[in-house]
This record gives sequence, C-alpha cells and structure tokens, in this order.
Amino acid sequence: MSGRVVAYSSSPLLASRTPVWRSKFIVAGIALGFVALAGRAAWVQVFGNEFYRKQGEVRFARTLELPANRGRIFDRNGLLLATSVPVPSIWAIPEDVEQGRDKAKLAQLAKLLQLPLPELMKKLEEDERNFVWIKRQVDESTARQVAALDIKGIYQRKEYRRQYPEGEAAAHVVGFTSIEDHGQEGVELAFDKALAGKPGSRRVIKDRLGRIVEDVREQVPPLDGKDLQLSIDSKVQFFAYQQLRDAVVANKAKAGSVVVLDVHTGEVLALANYPSYSPSNRQNLTGAQLRNRALTDSFEPGSTMKPFAVSLALEKGLVKPDTLIPTAPGRITLAGSTISDSHAHGDLTVTQVIQKSSNVGTVRVAMQLQPREMWELYTQVGFGQRPQVPFPGTVSGKLRAWKTWRPIEQATMSYGYGVATSLFQLARAYTVFARDGELVPVTLLKTDQAAPGIRVLRPEIAQEMREMLHLVTLSGGTAPKAQTMGYSVGGKTGTAHKQEGRGYAEHKYRGVFVGIAPIDQPRIVVAVMIDEPSAGRYFGGDVAAPVFSATVQQTLRMLGVQPDMNVKPQIVVQAVEESI
Amino acid sequence: MMLRLNLTLLVSLIASALYLVQVQYESRRLYTEIERAHAEARKLEIDRERLQVDKRAQATSARVEKLAREQLHMRPATPAITQYVTLKGVAQERAQ
Repeated sequence: MSGRVVAYSSSPLLASRTPVWRSKFIVAGIALGFVALAGRAAWVQVFGNEFYRKQGEVRFARTLELPANRGRIFDRNGLLLATSVPVPSIWAIPEDVEQGRDKAKLAQLAKLLQLPLPELMKKLEEDERNFVWIKRQVDESTARQVAALDIKGIYQRKEYRRQYPEGEAAAHVVGFTSIEDHGQEGVELAFDKALAGKPGSRRVIKDRLGRIVEDVREQVPPLDGKDLQLSIDSKVQFFAYQQLRDAVVANKAKAGSVVVLDVHTGEVLALANYPSYSPSNRQNLTGAQLRNRALTDSFEPGSTMKPFAVSLALEKGLVKPDTLIPTAPGRITLAGSTISDSHAHGDLTVTQVIQKSSNVGTVRVAMQLQPREMWELYTQVGFGQRPQVPFPGTVSGKLRAWKTWRPIEQATMSYGYGVATSLFQLARAYTVFARDGELVPVTLLKTDQAAPGIRVLRPEIAQEMREMLHLVTLSGGTAPKAQTMGYSVGGKTGTAHKQEGRGYAEHKYRGVFVGIAPIDQPRIVVAVMIDEPSAGRYFGGDVAAPVFSATVQQTLRMLGVQPDMNVKPQIVVQAVEESI
Repeated sequence: MMLRLNLTLLVSLIASALYLVQVQYESRRLYTEIERAHAEARKLEIDRERLQVDKRAQATSARVEKLAREQLHMRPATPAITQYVTLKGVAQERAQ
C-alpha cells in the first residue's frame, strides 16, 4: 500500500460545490415514486378492488359440499334393512402419475384392486382429463393397502354405499340404489325422493396447511333423507323366503312368490320371490332374478277364484251352503265348449263344490249370476285394478268389461280362466273373507291402526265361505297339506295350465294356494304361487300348500298368536285331486 | 398537551392493533380445533353406522337360523312343545 492518507474532513471532494439541479432531481424522483405508489394503491384499493378480492378468495376460500345422508330403511321392528355407509373409492389424476418410475407400484395396485394391469393403464392414458375413477367403493383394508403404496397421483375419497343386511331374502321389497346413490328398484326407487335428502354447502377459508380457519358465510346445512319404516317383518320375510326357496328347488320349479298380509292393518308382513339376488353383489344379474313376480307378473289364478263367484251367489240368495248341485257326469257343455272335472263327483253341496274344487259345480252356480254382478264383485275386490302400493312395475292384471263377456267366458272366469291377476292382488282379495266381508287397503309402510275396510260382502256370507275354505284343508279337501299344528287354517288351492302363445301348455302348470289363519279370528292372509313345478307333483295342494302351512306356523308364532286348536299329532290324510 | 394526547392515542392504537392480530390468530386456531372435533364426530358417527350394520349383519335371521340349527342343534318351536300362559288381566281385557 502506498500513497498519502487524507482525513475525511479535509477531503477536497467535500469542498466541491454540487449543482442544485441534482438534489432537486432526487427529490422529484422520490416524489414521483410516491405518486406511483399512491396511484397503484388507489388502483388496487378502489378501481381494481373487485378483481383482486376475487383472486384472493380463489386462493384461500373453498366451497365444500356437505353430503346428505340417504334415509335408512327399517323393518316393522326397527331392524335395519338398508343404510348408507361411506366407503373409500380410488381415483387418479392421470397427468400426475409417473408411469415410468412407478411401474412396479402400479402393478401392485392393479393386483390389489383386482383389475387387469392393461385396463388400469388404459385409464391412466386418458391425459385430457384430470379426474378418473380407478375403482369405486372398495373395502377399508384394500384402501389402506393402496394408501400404503403411496403412488403419486392416486387418491381416495369417501363415497356412500348402500348396505343391505337382509340380503336376498328382502331384495325384491327393499330394492337397491345405483353407484350414484339413486334408487333403482323396490322401495329404494318407490320412495327415492323421500329417502334422498338434499346436500348442503359451506364456504370456508383454508390456511396454508389446508385447515379450515373461518366460515365466509352462513352454512347451508344438508337435509338428510327421511328414514322409512316398512310394514315388513324381517323374520317373517326370511322364513317365508326360505320356505319358498326350498319348495321351488324341491319341486324343480321355475320360480315362486309368497305374500303375507296382516288382516287387521292391511300391512304387508312379507313379500318374497324366488329366484332372488344379493343386492350387494349385482354382477351378472338376470331379469328372472330381478323380477318382483308377486307384483309384476299376472297369471290366470285358476280355482283360487271360485270362492268369489260362489260367495256372490250366496250373497244374492241364489244358493245356500247346503244346496245340492248336480255335477255328474263331471262334464258340462256350454255353447259348444266342454268344461270338465278331473274326477266325476255326482251331486255336491255348494260347500263340497269349494272343498273338492269342482269346475262343473262352480260353473252351474256362477251361471245363475248376471255378468255385471260378477264383474262388479271382481272389480270391488281389486281384480283388474292396479294395487295402491307405490311400487315400480305393479300390474293391474286383466279383467274385461262385462258387456263383452260371452257365456262361456263368464263360465271360465268363475273358475279363474280368462281373467289374470298378480299374486299380490289375489292375497288382498282374500282379505274380504278374512275381514268378514270387508276389503282391506294394503300398505307397505308400518301403521299401528286397524285399517278401515270397504264392505263387499255381508259378514255372514264371509263367515260361511271361511267355513268352506276351512273344509278345503281337512280330510276330503284338496289341500290337507295346508294344515298347521295348533292353528286352524282355511284356503283355496289353484292349479292352472300356463298360457303359452294363443293356447295352454299341456304340461306346464302353476300351483297356487291362498289361505287365511286362524280361520275363526283371522290374523293373516298368505298367498303362495309356484311357477312350473316339474318334479312330478304340480297341484296347488301339493306344491304351494306346504309353503303356506310352514309360513303360517312361523308367522303366527312370531306374532304371538295363541293356537286355537288342541295340539295333537297330525295325520296327513289322503287328498283328492282337484280339477284343473 | 396535544402531543401527549396524540402519543396516548398512538400507543393505544398500536396496542389494539396487536391485540386484534392476536385475537384473529386465536379465533382461527380455535376454529381449526372445532373443525377437527367436528370431523372426529363425523368419523365416529360413520363408525357407529358401520358397526351397527356389522352387528345387524351378524344377527340376520338367516345366520341365526343356520347357527342355531347347525351348531346348537336347535329346532323351531311348535305349539306341541309350547306352554301357553294367559295373564289374568289380559284374559279379562280380551273378554271385554
């Protein structure tokens, strides 16, 4: 280092005069800076305020949807039939997935989710979209394993899934929902609006860590769907389904249905069909499994119609229970057509006509009636009328206007051909006999009050008919197999040739039994239909009556009805064959 | 005099501003807390629902029937093996 040291105070630079414009320039520059700042501030605060406020909100304010719970479905005793439980679903942002680096992990993911790897890759190919479902509604343990893989771009979210604890036994009544939580079948569809609820929303401010720190405005709370309580008793439902399933399998039948109605309240205690399906596993479903036959299939009810025409004749005073009707020689010819019995009986009382299910006897009684009177009774008990239950696909059956009836048609309609009904309609119609002549409105929802009925027949006529129906199940009737231990029952068998195309199939039948129990103080009506039994036996008294018997036995026990008969070992007596 | 008033106002302004910041911070902290509690409540509710379904699934008629029949060798009660008892009060009620 060399050179002179100059003290700061004596520096010659200090002595030099600077021009005035320089300081003015600086002052002006600073002033300009302030003006610019003020202008900017004014812009941000006043003119562009709206824009900046929005930009800010976009960065920290979020609108959250508050999902509403779908209402639950209970049975009459408060047992769950359907409820929603959130389950994890796996989704991805395809752009963010690093396929090259995470190849092994993606293979593991595919294995976990039981997806073929190419399919998974195809989903991730869709670059355009920034949201793609990988697999919806997986179970908790799978979701945890997926989370443990920790693949970039693969996320989870909660979705509601319907759970059906009763499974296939109640499948047709309860129905199911789609993956988007909309009702698709059964009660889920019928009451979808009430069950669905309305999602709410809230606008919140989130901090850097994604925590909610403030509500921006009032929350819109979600409206949960209403819970439904059905009239179904899940125990009765299960036993009825079980009995039906066993009978359909044992008789190698195509299908079957059973309906149990409470006579006092008109509640449907059970409604089951077989084949059924498991609502939680709906892959490879066939139409046959899905069909709620009891409500959506109408068929010719055969002999189960006989009590209606006969009670009308009793009501009109045309016959008495002990009036003799000649049925020999087991045939009757009407306008060129012959109607026959499977066995010739000779002279039968009206009671015996029902007990032995004689076609000829029924026709002789019914032909004394006016077509209009018969049509009116059939209509009053609900044939040809859509049942008042809010169920998808409920059919009205078929009952032609009386003016178009030809005599032969009136005759066949008296024993259940040329008229079609669903099993549900048939069961309901029988409440006329069970309720001393009153037809009961039916309901699928639980009620506690006895339903007011609509009078169709005089009480004493209904009682007389019940006595006849009781004899059907005793020795000499067509359905001794309908008997139960301890409870008196009554009912009517029906065995009908199935219609095929324009005519009737030679060897295809439908076995039906509709009955009432206990017979003196009726509590339930049970209707059973077995479609195309093909294991040898096909009479309603052979294939449907045992299901009736077992169902009545269990149902009355569960309802706490005391037996009205002395219990003794029961001997199954020889049945007579009924007419088809 | 004026100066002292101004100074007092300035000090109280600063104090109140700092307090505002503190309160805002505290309120957000509490809000987060309450949110977490809500989330926890929701989670518990969901768990409860799930457990209820599980419980119900374990107690369906189908399963009870199967277990009773196969493991416990039980059979359905019939009136033949049932003793029916009518309570006096009920009998009178029915009679009326």
